[in-house]
Amino acid sequence: MTHPERTALLLARGATLHWDVLSDSASPTTTVHDPALAADWLDDDPDVLAAARTVAYVEWALAWWPASTVAGVPQLDRRLLRAEAAVAAAGIDHVLDEDTVTGTLWAARDAVPALAAVPGARAAGLAARLAELAEDNGIVLTEPAAPARADLALAAGGPPVGRDVVVLRGTSPVDWALVPQGVVDAAAHASWTVLRRDGSSVVEVSVPRAPGARRAGLAARFGPVEVALDLPAGDGPATGRAPVPDAVVLLPAGERTLTVYAPDFAVPDRLPDPDAPARRAAIVALARTRVGSPGATLAEYVAGA
Amino acid sequence: MLGPVSVLPGERTVPRAALLARAWSLLGDGVAPLTNAAGRPLARTVKLILDPLVLRPVLNPGFAAGAVSGAHADDLVATITAAGPALRATAEWYLLVKRARRRAGITEGHPQDLYFQRCFELATTHGRPGADAERVAADVVEEVHAGASRLTAEDLRRYLTDPANAGELDRLLRAARHPVPDPARDPGPDPGVAAFLVSGDTAGFPALVAANAGSRGAAELAGPGVARGYGLSDRTVPVPPELGDRASKRDLPRPLDRSVLERLFTTVTGSDPAGLPALVRREIDRTGRAWQLGEEASRVTMVLGRDASAGLEHEPTSGAQRRLRSRWDREAYVHRVLRLPDPAAAGVPEALRADILGVRRAYLRRLWVRLHGREVRGGEVTADALWDLLDGVLRSVILDQRDRLRAALERLVAAR
Repeated sequence: MTHPERTALLLARGATLHWDVLSDSASPTTTVHDPALAADWLDDDPDVLAAARTVAYVEWALAWWPASTVAGVPQLDRRLLRAEAAVAAAGIDHVLDEDTVTGTLWAARDAVPALAAVPGARAAGLAARLAELAEDNGIVLTEPAAPARADLALAAGGPPVGRDVVVLRGTSPVDWALVPQGVVDAAAHASWTVLRRDGSSVVEVSVPRAPGARRAGLAARFGPVEVALDLPAGDGPATGRAPVPDAVVLLPAGERTLTVYAPDFAVPDRLPDPDAPARRAAIVALARTRVGSPGATLAEYVAGA
Repeated sequence: MLGPVSVLPGERTVPRAALLARAWSLLGDGVAPLTNAAGRPLARTVKLILDPLVLRPVLNPGFAAGAVSGAHADDLVATITAAGPALRATAEWYLLVKRARRRAGITEGHPQDLYFQRCFELATTHGRPGADAERVAADVVEEVHAGASRLTAEDLRRYLTDPANAGELDRLLRAARHPVPDPARDPGPDPGVAAFLVSGDTAGFPALVAANAGSRGAAELAGPGVARGYGLSDRTVPVPPELGDRASKRDLPRPLDRSVLERLFTTVTGSDPAGLPALVRREIDRTGRAWQLGEEASRVTMVLGRDASAGLEHEPTSGAQRRLRSRWDREAYVHRVLRLPDPAAAGVPEALRADILGVRRAYLRRLWVRLHGREVRGGEVTADALWDLLDGVLRSVILDQRDRLRAALERLVAAR
């Protein structure tokens, strides 16, 4: 099975379809669980497979789209993604388990204003089709509430001044699996600095955020030390500092690593994955080719425009 | 793509869905409102109209699910073609009924679920919509949504707590308490249960029912902690239920700890109020029976589900256990692909974490609720639906967990 980060998955009736997003192949790997159910649609024509791939690809983008300022990959509008998935799913309802279509339409119920903001026939057509399907399935499309702007407080404190002496510094990539999509810059490294200040040692951590940053509580582990991170309003980096034992400078380099994670989302107990850097670079490169491309999903086509 | 497929030696068959698609494509644009973008009849068109009202496999066994043999294939296409005018009229009626719904400002319910069969009925009685069609459509919408004579949860609560009834119902509830079977005298599992687990063959189901294999398998529930281990109770040993005077969908107790009110209030809503006293008496009777279920077929299903789901906790040892286990193992990969929260993470509610880490308990709980609901509505478990039920319950548990993990993810990520 392909690595989860590069897998577009469709859970269909009696079978699972996998596409490797890094591969050009349009035909999926199919795992049949219930031959009798899957026989109803497995021999369908290419149009059905194309719609199936759209549904799976959108799920992939919702989970793994590598939004990154340093790599120039804008965040996608998740409402546009969901609208496209819902319309594609409804077109192949005979391939999907019962109530999948209703579920995708429900997830897209707040997409109308996002579609209305996109000029052109493609968005208008999608909006019209979405409205029709929602009515047929008893889903009421909603106007979203105005976004809450409660957290406008500025990040406390400025950069440290004066008597600090930098002892050590370094960077570590952020493991995508430890944070939700769109919270941390997918391509930038988190950085750490050990300072001596007034006779004691502190570690300072800075984690670049994704563009259009979605917010989730973040924390970091530096060697044995847990560092709480503050997220400023806007896209600025998440930062934090914590005292460290002076002996931290004596740790082997392999243990002076920084692990960034979202405590509500993941448990930072994963072993390092040697394949991750190359795989993630390839996914970021893929995303760069998709942004602005007319053949991509509407969300990718209009992203960053 | 629609070529014949050989399934049995010497018999040419065609997948049923492929035949339906071929027959459907001959009906033309007139059935577009019943069709998906791939040109297939909507799943609900098949489920609500074609199967029960046009093809009727009960009367025409040759049209039943799966593969259709050559001789029946032509019949099937001809049957759908013959229904073409009615189906096209159904589509026209559906558009009118939908417009009437919009005009009436109604948003609840699934329109296809609510109106498809009514529209087919209109098509067969009225033909295509005529001069008075708008009025007829408005009447249908009004009728479907008139809730005047439907039973509500509040009716049930009032009935159970009415002093005029409570005394008698309490007496019945006490009388229903059959002597608890002695675990030491448990005659042991029926060998048919083991045979089912190995082969997955459901043909022996009626024999298991006749042998009371379900009731026999319930004796262990009286042992300390057994029902709790199955997720069916929070008590060391379940105690007989009360009538109850309040119920909320949100924090329902474990199935065997539910009051009569809590057992019935979601299931009976919408049924005929005249049946209420009988519904309550049947439920009271159930509470005293093995597994607290009224039909032996349900109890046998509980025993089969209990044993088939053991492979979710331990290395599976039989075909049935492996089948459930492989579905569950697949789900771990699905969670990673969808980048869902780790069940051990702080943002995942405790109840959800417990359901994922103790999936067998979640499974047996839902299986009981399904079987109970089926009994209350008067349905019964049949051998040919057995595996769909046992597997379908796990599927439903998995989908529910996935939805709850998605909801947990939505909560922990805030859009700026």
